[in-house]
Amino acid sequence: MSEKNREGKRTARERLQEERVAEEARRKRNKKLAVIGVVVAVIAVGVTVGVVVQNQRSKPDTPVAAPAGAIGTKNLVIPDGPANAPSTLVIYEDPRCPACGSFEREFAPTVDQLQDQGKVYNNYHLVSFIDRSLGGKGSKYGANALACAQDAGKFRDYHDVLYKNQPDETSDSFGNKATLISLAKQVPGLDTPKFEACVNDNKYSGWVSAVQQDFDKSSYKSTPTILLNGTPIYPKKGDEEITPDNLVKWINEANAGKPLGTTGPGSASPAPTSTASESNTPPSP
Amino acid sequence: MVTSTTGLRRAVDGPAGQWFGLAVRLGLAVVWAWAGLAKVSDPAEAAQAVRAYEILPESLVKPVGYGLPFLELALALLLFFGLGTRIVAVLSGLLLLTFIAGITSAWARGISIDCGCFGGGGAVDASQTEYLQEILRDTGFLLLAAWLVYRPRTKLSADAWLAT
Repeated sequence: MSEKNREGKRTARERLQEERVAEEARRKRNKKLAVIGVVVAVIAVGVTVGVVVQNQRSKPDTPVAAPAGAIGTKNLVIPDGPANAPSTLVIYEDPRCPACGSFEREFAPTVDQLQDQGKVYNNYHLVSFIDRSLGGKGSKYGANALACAQDAGKFRDYHDVLYKNQPDETSDSFGNKATLISLAKQVPGLDTPKFEACVNDNKYSGWVSAVQQDFDKSSYKSTPTILLNGTPIYPKKGDEEITPDNLVKWINEANAGKPLGTTGPGSASPAPTSTASESNTPPSP
Repeated sequence: MVTSTTGLRRAVDGPAGQWFGLAVRLGLAVVWAWAGLAKVSDPAEAAQAVRAYEILPESLVKPVGYGLPFLELALALLLFFGLGTRIVAVLSGLLLLTFIAGITSAWARGISIDCGCFGGGGAVDASQTEYLQEILRDTGFLLLAAWLVYRPRTKLSADAWLAT
């Protein structure tokens, strides 16, 4: 009897002990699950909110303000030269890109001459990706200043001045708005209070970013990218190296038998009238 | 010999090891916070850094480019407080392995990009690629994560506080 009783007491104590251990293990497991839950929740909420916010911030894709006379489906392209010229030269350039600078310094006189002869119509994409790899603001501010010059009808001249005075790639002097404004003094009539305000307010920053996003999505990865009637010609067209003489030759070949574009005063930047430039824009699908 | 191994063991498991763990945990938190913050300011740039790897389809480029910085910031936050240290360290390690795989893949395919690890990113000139440095750097961070998987208990952590 007493023997049995003792046994019963012991098993009761053991059972209590086992329960306490099980309780402890359950408590630990619950704690662990709660921690994992919090970790997952922090990550999920953070990422979801982040994606939504960033999506909101990068809208709209179509910029509100584009410089005067910009063309293309989203008005991301600066036209220069006679819109009805038989050949079109599409140029992707970053204001800070050294290869663009050497291209411009070597080819600008030839390209200007071809435009003035009514042979070619330039379409500029002012991209700004060097700021990303090297840091700074020179590509973006430079592109904005070029858009401001487009507004003033002095795109071509200011464009030539900027590339003639391009700093070393790693020095970000175009990131200083005062530098961009002082260079504008080399273009007669450009340095007005309106132009200065446009540069200082970074008026076309949204447009500049949209132009860059458009370039991001294109298959082109470097600048300058230059297309003559849709065919890449930089640094080579087929087996032929690009030189001012070859550029003239290629354009003359492409233009053979076609009427030249309208030239004359005002045929430089911007395009004479917006309707003329639009007529040359392929209809959007 | 025996005493030195047990000595080492005691050092790793003792308070000194936990203080070391705190340093590792905060170090990795700083890495993630820095990487995340550098990518938050310009979503288009972050998306382009992802696109440049030419691995993900266009439909996934933006979600990853926009979301990744916040994943990094969330990991930084959790590491800072020391909450769920082991699972966060495992996730950190997996993310770093993904990055290393991406960089290796870009290198192997011969495309020229900046990894965009701490902002920036996108195509660069072939002479400007730094794949080896980028991989070595990420491997260093991977060691930090590995330590925390091995010894997740650290000083001044929410985990330690919850365990009491």
